[in-house]
Amino acid sequence: MDSGRLHPLSVNIREIAAIFGRMGFDVATGPELEDEWHNFDALNIPSDHPARDMQDTLWVDTEEGKVMRTHTSPVQIRYIEEKIASGVLPPYRIIVPGKVFRNEATDQTHEAQFYQNEGLVVGEGISLAHLKGTLDRFFNEYLGEGARVRFRPSYFAFTEPSVEIDVWFPAGDNGRGKWLEVMGGGMVHPSVLRNAGIDPEIYQAFAFGGGIERLIMVKHGVPDIRLFHSGDLRFSYGFDIA
Amino acid sequence: MNISRTWLQKYFTAELPDTYVIADALTFHAAEVEDIKEDTFDVKVLPDRAAYMLSHQGVAREVASVLNLPLKADALNAPLRAYPNTDKIRISIEDTDACSRYMCALVEGVTVSASPSWLKEALESVGQRSINNVVDATNYVMLAMGQPLHAYDANKLEVNGGVYELEVRDAREGEKITVLTGEEYLLPEGTLLIADGNSKLPLGIAGIKGGNVARVDETTTTLLLEAANFEGTRVRRSASALKLFTDASLRFQNRPSPTLVAYGMRDAIDCILMVAGGTLAGVTDNYTKEPDTEAVSVSLSRINSILGSEFTLSEVRSVFEKLECPYSEVEDVFTILPPGVRRDIRIPEDIAEEVGRLLGYDRIPSQGLPLQTTSPNQARFLGVERVKDFLVERGFSEVSTQTFANEGDIVLANPLQADRPWLRASLLGNLETALLRGAAVAPRFLGPEKALRLFEIGNAFTSDGEFLLLAIGVRGIEGNASSEIIKEIVATLEQDVFGEPAHARYSLDGLLVELNLSRLNMEKVGDEYTPVASALTDYRPFSLYPYALRDVAVWTPEGTMETEVANLIVGAAGELLVRIDLFDTFQKEGRVSYAFRLVFESKERTLTENDLGPSMEQITANLTQQKGYEVR
Repeated sequence: MDSGRLHPLSVNIREIAAIFGRMGFDVATGPELEDEWHNFDALNIPSDHPARDMQDTLWVDTEEGKVMRTHTSPVQIRYIEEKIASGVLPPYRIIVPGKVFRNEATDQTHEAQFYQNEGLVVGEGISLAHLKGTLDRFFNEYLGEGARVRFRPSYFAFTEPSVEIDVWFPAGDNGRGKWLEVMGGGMVHPSVLRNAGIDPEIYQAFAFGGGIERLIMVKHGVPDIRLFHSGDLRFSYGFDIA
Repeated sequence: MNISRTWLQKYFTAELPDTYVIADALTFHAAEVEDIKEDTFDVKVLPDRAAYMLSHQGVAREVASVLNLPLKADALNAPLRAYPNTDKIRISIEDTDACSRYMCALVEGVTVSASPSWLKEALESVGQRSINNVVDATNYVMLAMGQPLHAYDANKLEVNGGVYELEVRDAREGEKITVLTGEEYLLPEGTLLIADGNSKLPLGIAGIKGGNVARVDETTTTLLLEAANFEGTRVRRSASALKLFTDASLRFQNRPSPTLVAYGMRDAIDCILMVAGGTLAGVTDNYTKEPDTEAVSVSLSRINSILGSEFTLSEVRSVFEKLECPYSEVEDVFTILPPGVRRDIRIPEDIAEEVGRLLGYDRIPSQGLPLQTTSPNQARFLGVERVKDFLVERGFSEVSTQTFANEGDIVLANPLQADRPWLRASLLGNLETALLRGAAVAPRFLGPEKALRLFEIGNAFTSDGEFLLLAIGVRGIEGNASSEIIKEIVATLEQDVFGEPAHARYSLDGLLVELNLSRLNMEKVGDEYTPVASALTDYRPFSLYPYALRDVAVWTPEGTMETEVANLIVGAAGELLVRIDLFDTFQKEGRVSYAFRLVFESKERTLTENDLGPSMEQITANLTQQKGYEVR
């Protein structure tokens, strides 16, 4: 009997975890059904913020104040809370690959459920330059030599400064290299660190997050994001294992 | 927001560079620019900057800062004029939290007509429709400096003792309004209105859209001109409930400073008197809450520590000068007073962002993380990956399916699909579907395999909590599969991987099983495990058309290799053959029999006997030509 096939998400998340592992990152997890505090309030997203409206977030009827997490960022808070509770102070380095949910219509490039990879580094003197260095190294290993990132101004409630992160996809066999927007990130907002139990006067932190399917789509030429969670055997067999 | 380069040019003496240069400058230093045309472009103003940047003036300030071009004159720095008060307007505000400032001007003797061409062209250049000179003037000023404005025809209001009365109040139950564009809206609870205090009629939905009752048209001679500040959340919730998002509501929901109201009023009065004539009778200003602008202090070393940069004192000074922020400097500590319209600068990190983006994020070095002495903890993740490797090695393929289901314990308040409102409480339902669909296509991918083996690892949600589950299933491709496959795999998993019983729950037929990984020690499973690393090739989309199967069996002389026969078949079959598997071989009387299963498929159409017949004939002919070959 031949071997079966791993789902392409598993193949890619392993590679991502291995690269970050070489830079000292733990892999953390958290619940997909999340409470408002971790998904919103602790991340500096106030109760009147548009992101909390019904049109963006899937709310649960049977449990008060629970949502399908809209991002993997609540795991930042959970991880820090847990570490502080067990008396472990920074430095921390984690990635959080996990499923997230959005209340949005699906098409070739949008899914209501998809995977994100979150990164968080907390320590003394951690800076935006470390974010750049970490992602430059990650993409160099993940996409190949010549890959690098650039920052553009952005806004997220839970980071300040906030940046949009473009990555240079090096030229492949067919075609030229190109810049693509792949992540958001920035320096973790001091209120968020405080909410999680960390003194922002002592520690600084960067965080980043972006969709994993989108990366795989560009890296391997997948035309439709809806294939990933279709349960269709033919999808995994659409790749050969090199 | 649509920005016109021609319009932007009005703020500068020096000739602006090419639109693409402006667009790049904004994208890398302020906000992303999309949809660039010759003279216009769309600036995706960020939410925290929308209070000051949703205007040509705001964008001009950014262009000035980034490209080092001096602004001709800054309207927000020019002193405000004192206007005569008027006792002909009375304003009452029910809730000053909802409306912190309401300014109203009485303008008499205006002539409403078509706008002059400069005004028409300016509005049209950014995709707005020209209506008449008064309405256009209010829109122009909003797009120029960001303050929404509204003009009412005063003669369409009731006057009591020579006094116009305007109320800012909540909509009454069942209250309706017909807006300027003609649609009637039933106003939900909590909608803020501007109403005629004498007639009690609603005149407009505050901060969203004017009503038809006091519309400005060719007969209008007297105006009540409104410049106000309505609370952002109230405006957003109402706009959202009414599904009525307007240029005004977009601006209010981003909480512009109430200081902007007076500048908007000044510019609107000037513009209306210029394009529609008339005289200003007086202005009333109900300003209940002046915002506090607080100074923010930050040291150069803190800025550089956040950014990881090596910016100098003089570089940081240049940023504050670009921003026109008054600042003081004691040793290396700056204390700055943000401009009134900049509601996004409150903490030292905000200043670091201004410095980073204006001096350029490209100047931030790429710096590796410090070396870490402890090794990372990925044990739980690796434990799950070990389970996957174990299953894949034994012929199981991984699928991923949807979290939303047609049954479960926990239901969504706002499901995406009406028929899948539940969170899955088990993975088995989806896995069964995947097996059913998979078995139908399996021969294309698995060859002459007798059973399809699938698994999924994912979260499920029950009234007892959220768990990470592993579901494993098998289904016969030809004939029935044996539940022994499942029993055996679970037993081996428990023994070789988990080292403890997994409390597996089997389906009735034993062909599906579910294990709760949250109840097992996955850290222990993953300790020191190195998962199989593989690299994927580019994706090849699968055909949307059904494949066809054909079998070929052939006698060959003793010593003939399988590959020789396979090559003969492939060479003769043509490009529709996508897979070939040997499924039977035996020797008899000095001959070897090989039986192959062939899979044919087209990406363009369903195959018929017209496609397959000739291929099979060619294969038979090719094999028969060989010495000692006999097709059975």
